[in-house]
Amino acid sequence: MLLSVIKRLTTTLCTLMFMSSAYAVTVQDSKGTFTLDHTPQRIVVLEFSFADALASVGVAPIGIADDKDKSRVLPAVQQVIGDWQSVGTRSQPSLEVIASLKPDLIIADISRHESVYDDLQKIAPTLILPSRRETYSDNLKAASIIAKVVGKEQEMTDRLVQHQQFMAHIAQQLPDHAILQFGVARADALFLHTDDSYTGGVIQALGMQTPVSDRDDSAYRQTSLEQLVALNPEYLIVGHYANPSIVDNWSNEPLWTVLTAVQNDHVYRVDPNIWSRCRGILAAEHIANDLLQIFSEQ
Amino acid sequence: MTAQRFFPFALIMLFALSLANLLFGAVSLSLHDIWQGLFVGSEQHFTVYEYRLPRLFLAILVGAGLALSGALVQGVIRNPLASPDVLGVSHGAGLAAVFYMTYFNGASTEWLPEVALSGGLCAALILWYLCGAHSSAIKLAITGVALAAFWASCIDFLMLTKPLEINNALLWLTGSLWGRSWPQLQALLPWFVLVPFALGLSKYLNVLDLGDDSANSLGVSPQSVRLLSLAIAVALTAACVSVCGPIGFLGLVAPHLTRKLVGGRHQSLLPATMLTGACLLLAADLAARTLAPPIELPAGILTAIIGAPYFLWLLLRMK
Repeated sequence: MLLSVIKRLTTTLCTLMFMSSAYAVTVQDSKGTFTLDHTPQRIVVLEFSFADALASVGVAPIGIADDKDKSRVLPAVQQVIGDWQSVGTRSQPSLEVIASLKPDLIIADISRHESVYDDLQKIAPTLILPSRRETYSDNLKAASIIAKVVGKEQEMTDRLVQHQQFMAHIAQQLPDHAILQFGVARADALFLHTDDSYTGGVIQALGMQTPVSDRDDSAYRQTSLEQLVALNPEYLIVGHYANPSIVDNWSNEPLWTVLTAVQNDHVYRVDPNIWSRCRGILAAEHIANDLLQIFSEQ
Repeated sequence: MTAQRFFPFALIMLFALSLANLLFGAVSLSLHDIWQGLFVGSEQHFTVYEYRLPRLFLAILVGAGLALSGALVQGVIRNPLASPDVLGVSHGAGLAAVFYMTYFNGASTEWLPEVALSGGLCAALILWYLCGAHSSAIKLAITGVALAAFWASCIDFLMLTKPLEINNALLWLTGSLWGRSWPQLQALLPWFVLVPFALGLSKYLNVLDLGDDSANSLGVSPQSVRLLSLAIAVALTAACVSVCGPIGFLGLVAPHLTRKLVGGRHQSLLPATMLTGACLLLAADLAARTLAPPIELPAGILTAIIGAPYFLWLLLRMK
């Protein structure tokens, strides 16, 4: 009897192994091993960076947690994926809307959606990866994982090579080692994106630097005008979330004129949504193009 | 409105709101869909059984729990403006939760309810240690308010020094039923064995209303009644807050409103206030889900929108 049980077990195991090698794709996500036995057709993503990764290999998600504001999705991503249904905010996406879309894959952010991971799993297989506070290289890694899961591994490898060439090509046209600081300005606070932030990583990939400070090592640093003067970057690039933002108010203060960037007229405005919120291959290329335009206008 | 008329009315309201919570949301369902959704394998099974049903029960329990705590605290402190917040329990739970989220941001959110629960209970123990078992109601209230302010300032300090984690922390501090399901319900349910004990205290709370001296001469020890009621209020508040975050004003508005409707007799006030609390939170969560779908607002914002003006109106009327 024992023998027959062992025999049956072995057959089952063999069948399982055969099945997995035949259809399945296995990757490591933030919760461990993730296996999918079909090529997903109806994908719901809960962060912009995941939509960017899909669009980079020409796959269109059917639902995006876009904060019910379609303009937040990068124009280049919109062009590829066409229309989609909003599933609510990124912080509290509507699980019933996600369920009503009948997805066969959900891509969630470990930082925002870990508490509903079990619920998402009940709706569809859920790939959970870092997105919020990820670095540039984390983002590219996550993009590769996503591509593998949706069966576009080769396309992504090619796309990444193309991306690196593009970034190198732009980098050649930008000044080497220029010291450039990007920050997002709200009505009451300026947050600088340092080396460890996503945008900081993109700036480094383009052969430029962010100012060095030994104050602390967090990726996004709330900064006063005095601290900004101490950092004194050559170029200051600001995304304004509010109008007027705190930086607009600072520009009336005497201390503002002490900044080298102000004296040389090297202060620029960019779209904070694209520079800080979107994140992804297409977003990085958009940032590179923005920088090229800024420097070629000089 | 007398108690006889209040209970049927409140029960009908509770039933109607429960039904509305099942029917409406980002996706509207029919009665038939809901019935079908209760069974595994049906199309709406996730939405009905895994999502709306547990959330409905949670709204009822948390609403009832917070309202009952509020009524107990108001009964003990003998001030209609008192609420569980006066004891610093929700702020203590909030501080523990925010501390956990800011300093252990790699840690799993799975432990958040346990952390918040111990924070709330610790805050109550500190209050007890500072006041002792034999202190007057007013000393308890003032010390509690001071402690609550202290915990709140610690929360602000944490959020100012770690501005990055603010989003998650603020969301939790507003109080929301989003993403809460059967496991949270399971964690909360055992605490409700305290409810019969609270109801059993009704008679003594009535006597307490006559003042400590009269209570003593009637053979009721005011200290023990106070301690027991507050312990139950603290435990219920901490348990509810640990699951849903501190849902504002519920513990203040629900008992006060109910007192206006059914009077101050605790035998009817305590069960009635539970019904009111449940109805209020059900209504708040329904509005949170249906005002601007697919956006889900935190229910705590809705209770604050109703609660804050009510509180102001109350203050103005008291002059």
